[in-house]
Amino acid sequence: MKRWKGPPCDIDSWVAFPVLSDEQSQDVELVEVFAAPILDKKETSRIVRELNAFHPLSGLQHVKRVRPCREKPHPLEVLVCLVSDAPRGKVVSVDSLLPSGGVNCNGLGEPFVVKVPARPPLTRPQFELASQHWPTSFHEDKQVTVALRGELFSRHQKERMQAYMASAVTAARAGMEVGMEAVGAAVVDPKTESIIAVGHDCRHDRPLHHAVMVVIDLVARSQGGGFYSFDGYPACRFTSPNSLQTEAGSQPYICTGYDLYVTREPCVMCAMALVHSRIGRVFYGVASANGALGTKFKIHARKDLNHRFEVYRGVLSGECENLHSVDDHIRKDRGE
Amino acid sequence: MGTEEDSKEAPVELFCPSEEEIERWMIRAFDMAKEALESGEVPVGCLMVYKDEVVGKGRNEVNETKNATRHAEMVALDQVLDWCCRRSLDARSVCERTALYVTVEPCIMCAAALRLLNIPVVVYGCRNERFGGCGSVLDVSSADLPQTGTTFKCISGHRAEEAVEMLKTFYKQENPNGEKKHCTSFCFFCFFFH
Ligand SMILES: [Zn+2]
Ligand SMILES: [Zn+2]
Repeated sequence: MKRWKGPPCDIDSWVAFPVLSDEQSQDVELVEVFAAPILDKKETSRIVRELNAFHPLSGLQHVKRVRPCREKPHPLEVLVCLVSDAPRGKVVSVDSLLPSGGVNCNGLGEPFVVKVPARPPLTRPQFELASQHWPTSFHEDKQVTVALRGELFSRHQKERMQAYMASAVTAARAGMEVGMEAVGAAVVDPKTESIIAVGHDCRHDRPLHHAVMVVIDLVARSQGGGFYSFDGYPACRFTSPNSLQTEAGSQPYICTGYDLYVTREPCVMCAMALVHSRIGRVFYGVASANGALGTKFKIHARKDLNHRFEVYRGVLSGECENLHSVDDHIRKDRGE
Repeated sequence: MGTEEDSKEAPVELFCPSEEEIERWMIRAFDMAKEALESGEVPVGCLMVYKDEVVGKGRNEVNETKNATRHAEMVALDQVLDWCCRRSLDARSVCERTALYVTVEPCIMCAAALRLLNIPVVVYGCRNERFGGCGSVLDVSSADLPQTGTTFKCISGHRAEEAVEMLKTFYKQENPNGEKKHCTSFCFFCFFFH
């Protein structure tokens, strides 16, 4: 039997990794291109100039036109044209690829097919994979690189993040004790480093009262709105922000600039509720099977929705994992 | 309710409103949308029908609650749950035979909520190009999400142009001085231009 309260968790025991868009996390897609050796190095600049004019390789601006060759008899290789743009024919020669005389083929060897990255790399891992195929340029987003290494947050920030997630975990346990699913959430104002609302799943009373929906309503209550009463649940609480911030209360996007900490990845309903509420960032402990912030969908990264936000997975992951595995046991015992 | 009536009940899998029912309830939904428009509210009409009785209806309550999830469908679903509670009926077995009639395609959040409550059929007017959860942005209605309730059937396009016209009129009304009032996810500006 797992104990509820262990020693305080060490901030080195977990890492927050970014949940990136599909474009940022997909494998490197390749496209076939004819390349040819440059036999006479002195002809290089002329060949490149003439090829750029004749076959501009539009859409492949991220790929370098020429690559150096170390272990080959010729010094360089140049991209000639996309295989899909080449005239069809069984015998491929430089002359057949460059028929109309726009490019003087002096100094070019016989063409061969190479695979080059079809899209510009968006992350360092994508760049490293892409470069194995052909030299590729990369406009690095330093924050993404650091985040992918799990090094985006300072020790102070990690301590704060851990404290916020710990309050979500505590709420989840309180919810579990009154028969709810063990999910907890906290909404935080990162500017003031204060918790605005904390709550837990209440779905056995109200099927749509997932923890995220509960805290969204609690945030609304903290600003004079809100629809439900969670007075029966002492672990569902809110703090009204100080009077300086009341002008923010005049608009319905009340989660603007706030962060959400939730013990497990939200479902589609909750993920879209966070889009509607204009949440700032979302941190979750563990993934869930039908999760919509990384697992089944990436609602936070869709270009076709009017609000996007950063999502990080893994905050206090051990504690969140325990919470949900205990919850699974309880449900199995109940025969659910 | 007599046993005779209960025995006439079709199996849940076959539950689907008839053409005549769709026509009749969509007239009600459009009337609600028109009333909303006339009183300066978001022109979306939404009602939930169980055994020929309206068990839930809603209008957008985002601005007054400051809760951006209070879409008309969420409000109506709450009423259905309350209705079941008052009559001590099992919410699941009522929801499984309840249809939603709404003038605009439900958003991704509302579509997921409808799945979570096992609503089997959604009849709607125009598409929701910005947030639609029944295929326009994401197809939550039929997605493979075994832990997010059950899939539902969509019947779309009923008086679609009229539904769009009402949204357009609403947008014009909301901007008498060229200044935008409370912008909810259902306002025309968000709806078509963001
Ligand atoms: Zn949820
Ligand atoms: Zn909605």
